[in-house]
Amino acid sequence: MSKKALDYGAQKKPDYARRLSHRFSRRALLVGAGQAGLFGLLGWRLHQLQILDSSDYRLLSDENRMTMQLVAPSRGAIYDRFGTLIAEDKENLRVLVLPAFCESLPRTLDALSTVVPVSEATRDRVMRAARRQSGYYPVLVAEALTWRQFALLNVLAPQIPGMRTDRSAYRHYNHARAMAHVVGYVGMAGKAEVNEDPVMRLPGFRAGRTGVEKSFDQDLRGSPGSTKYEVDARGRVVRELGSRPSTKGRDVVLTIDHHLQTVALDRIKDQRVASIVVMDVVTGGILVMASTPTFNPNDIAFNPDLSQWKELAKNRDHPLHNRAVRGQYPPGSTFKVVTALAGLSAGVIDQEEQMRCPGIYAVGRARFRCWRSHGGGIDVHRALKESCDVYFYETAKRMGIDHLAKVARELGLGRTYDCGLAGQKPGLIPDKAWKRSSRFEAWYPGETVIAGIGQGFVLSTPLQLAVMTARVATGRAVLPKMVLSGKDEAEPWPLLNLDPAHLEIVRNGMIAVVNEKGGTAGRSKLKLPDVQMAGKTGTSQVISSSRRHLLPGWDGETHALFVAFAPAHAPRYAAACVVEHGGGGSRAAAPVVRDVMTELLQRDPAGRRPFVANNAVAAASSALAAVENTQ
Amino acid sequence: MKTLFAVSTEPRLKLRQKLLLLNWPFLLLVVSIALVGAAALYSVAGGALDPWASRHVFRFCVGLALLFAVAFSDIRWWLRSAYPLYIVALLLMVLVPLIGIESGGARRWLGYGEFSFQPSEMMKVVLVLALARYYQWLPPERVWRPDALLPPLLMIGVPTLLALAQPDLGTAALFAVIGGGILFLAGVSWVYFIAAIVGVVVALPYAWEALHDYQRERVLTFIDPERDPLGAGYHILQSKIAIGSGGLSGKGYMQGTQAQLNFLPEKHTDFIFTMFAEEMGFVGALGLLALYLLVLMFITYMALLCRSVFARLMAVGMGLCLFAYVFINVAMVTGLVPVVGIPLPLVSYGGTSMLTMIVGLGFVLNAHVNRKVTFRPEETGALW
Repeated sequence: MSKKALDYGAQKKPDYARRLSHRFSRRALLVGAGQAGLFGLLGWRLHQLQILDSSDYRLLSDENRMTMQLVAPSRGAIYDRFGTLIAEDKENLRVLVLPAFCESLPRTLDALSTVVPVSEATRDRVMRAARRQSGYYPVLVAEALTWRQFALLNVLAPQIPGMRTDRSAYRHYNHARAMAHVVGYVGMAGKAEVNEDPVMRLPGFRAGRTGVEKSFDQDLRGSPGSTKYEVDARGRVVRELGSRPSTKGRDVVLTIDHHLQTVALDRIKDQRVASIVVMDVVTGGILVMASTPTFNPNDIAFNPDLSQWKELAKNRDHPLHNRAVRGQYPPGSTFKVVTALAGLSAGVIDQEEQMRCPGIYAVGRARFRCWRSHGGGIDVHRALKESCDVYFYETAKRMGIDHLAKVARELGLGRTYDCGLAGQKPGLIPDKAWKRSSRFEAWYPGETVIAGIGQGFVLSTPLQLAVMTARVATGRAVLPKMVLSGKDEAEPWPLLNLDPAHLEIVRNGMIAVVNEKGGTAGRSKLKLPDVQMAGKTGTSQVISSSRRHLLPGWDGETHALFVAFAPAHAPRYAAACVVEHGGGGSRAAAPVVRDVMTELLQRDPAGRRPFVANNAVAAASSALAAVENTQ
Repeated sequence: MKTLFAVSTEPRLKLRQKLLLLNWPFLLLVVSIALVGAAALYSVAGGALDPWASRHVFRFCVGLALLFAVAFSDIRWWLRSAYPLYIVALLLMVLVPLIGIESGGARRWLGYGEFSFQPSEMMKVVLVLALARYYQWLPPERVWRPDALLPPLLMIGVPTLLALAQPDLGTAALFAVIGGGILFLAGVSWVYFIAAIVGVVVALPYAWEALHDYQRERVLTFIDPERDPLGAGYHILQSKIAIGSGGLSGKGYMQGTQAQLNFLPEKHTDFIFTMFAEEMGFVGALGLLALYLLVLMFITYMALLCRSVFARLMAVGMGLCLFAYVFINVAMVTGLVPVVGIPLPLVSYGGTSMLTMIVGLGFVLNAHVNRKVTFRPEETGALW
């Protein structure tokens, strides 16, 4: 016994701490035993429920099973501006199995194969799905059944446990090749989408993948309904307990005129890669957006053929790409419209000033060529008409790149538009800040000079060029629109921050391009009485002429561009056409625009009443009657 | 105040030593229960990780980090902060009726948007700490005295009444079970417990009057579920059908008809055991209960090894909490007690309850790591 312990005097009174400690041990064991005992009680209860009374409860459980089935909404239709049906849901007769209700899944599949062909691959897929997910999610066996097969299956239903037939929908596209890029297509939902919306789990449910189908997916999709059934142990419906109908998706009316679209596509389809955009400059509505090569979305949206899909995806000319919004090209001489406006607004040139074009322009030691030696007396009108490079080299150099970029952006270049077109590319309007932040280099004066004729870093899409033309034609900040709202015309677009007199000078230059002697697009003058077209040609190099030999053949050819508006003195339509590696703008692109514009002006879609979809009467959908009542 | 922060003469343990002292088999048991939970939630979602199973696992991993943090923290710090933490939890509980978020007819939540929590959950852990702290301080010879019983009764009583006022019958019952259990283990005389039981029996008719209608309804339908098979008795009846129809070996993983067909309400939270018992049968259900019982036995064993009163009561108190959760939940879904809305710890989906339980288990491990530690009288300080 240590001295310290004695000091505490522990021996004098009873050792309470020790007694308490023993009491804790006793009681802890008691509590432990009590816990074990109460768990025993739970075990006894489970024994009672699961062993003794199990058969009673099993009976109860078999007697009343409820099943809830989501009812897929039918997808909204897509119309063109005059009500031509472009995309619609068509009836799709299908057969599915609910593995949980099959006595044996292979035997059910065997029974099915007497009516519909069930390939070895399908069998594998169904078996895998049945193992992977709960047996209460239906698995698709076959779709696109004939009415004969469908009827036969329904007659056989009582003998095939676990089978379901239903009437679902598939997406069908009319005028498929012409509208493919604009409308896009639907496909199976991805994993992320499935988690976000349970309706995506319905077998065969499809969501918009590209184009308007994608950007207006929420509108088009509608909302699912549900039906509650009481079923017996074999999955046969005892009675319906109630249902909530699905709501059909909203119909969407495009601004596109499918007739003009077809005409335009016909006109460019002989080119290897080309695209054309036509828009209504007052409303911003896009009337034509055609891109070649194209594809047939019906091949992709429903029962896609894998080899066909691979071929499309791998094709060097990328038929799946909408060139009108995804093709980024140096705008070439079409950009001179921007340079002229920028020069006038900066005050570095005026209507009177004349320059001399010796066919070559020097900045420091660098030499920039003009496509032709124009001689003296070049004012802004002639510079536009004859597309004199030297005039615009000088104009650009005088004002500097930042002012040029500012006006280019004012005209709608270098950005994407929120108009319901998925996959737009922004193009590029370079300035000093851009070069510093993305290339970590200073801006060189020579780069300003070539930017003045739309070469160098400058990139734009055909859609952007059409918007630019529309803005020049109207002097207003027009934005493109893809879908008609159904309401009457909204208020006009706000005015641009540019002098109307300057715009007038440029427009007159563009009129001269097509209609005056010596204009670069003189051969593409409209052959219509008392209506003229204004435009600007562009031929943009993809590689400098000194290095042309490095890129022989088609890939090294210049892009052909043409932008236009008409009627020249009261603009209503603007167009932009790019023929990739098509040669000269006046030869390859301008005639296309002339022909489309001729058809357009004769048809005058802007002057006619557009179609209005009847979305108010969104009838309850019966697209997917989930479980056929077999009684 | 000086003594409160006195430096202990006990050598402090290094982290490496603590790692060796940790009860690893115990931890393995806890992890396996959580994995059973994840598997059950995967099945409830119809064979999908989302929305429950993946988040369950994620939360458990976050919880495990907390568990380690608590287990390896200094036990003296908890001794010192037991009362302040209790005060904080009590204040938060008082705040709930004033600024809490109302959901489902009861105000139990504090917070904003995604970040809400139940102060009563925090109280479950903190109550154990405060009571353990009290009996660590109380000189052994005074445990027998009636006046020494007053402070702990207040400590238990106030939060219990606050929980009843929310109203949250389940949590109130939990507080009472944990508090009573700790008093019993601390050595309070049998006499008081017998008196309390008699008192409760006498008070029962009056308590009945004080119950809310929906609580009364629950008790009544509990006594006779067939009274209202499509209304209040629905949950119990459907739950019993589901469990009963599972039989000896169950309907098979992801094949439970009752749960999968949406007969069960709250099948991913309070009724997860039902679904598990339906799919895995008597064998599976007993197996899961056995896992819990093993964890509980481990806790008792670890408590017996502890030298200090604080560590012992802390461990055993958390054990009581776990036991109460599991027992009430399973008894509820099998129709032994009324439906009170208590989740199955580590298996049910839900952030707060999972966190409470896992932090509680962290304290058990903390007690185990510090089993050799004793406190000098001055370390325990005054009542405050």
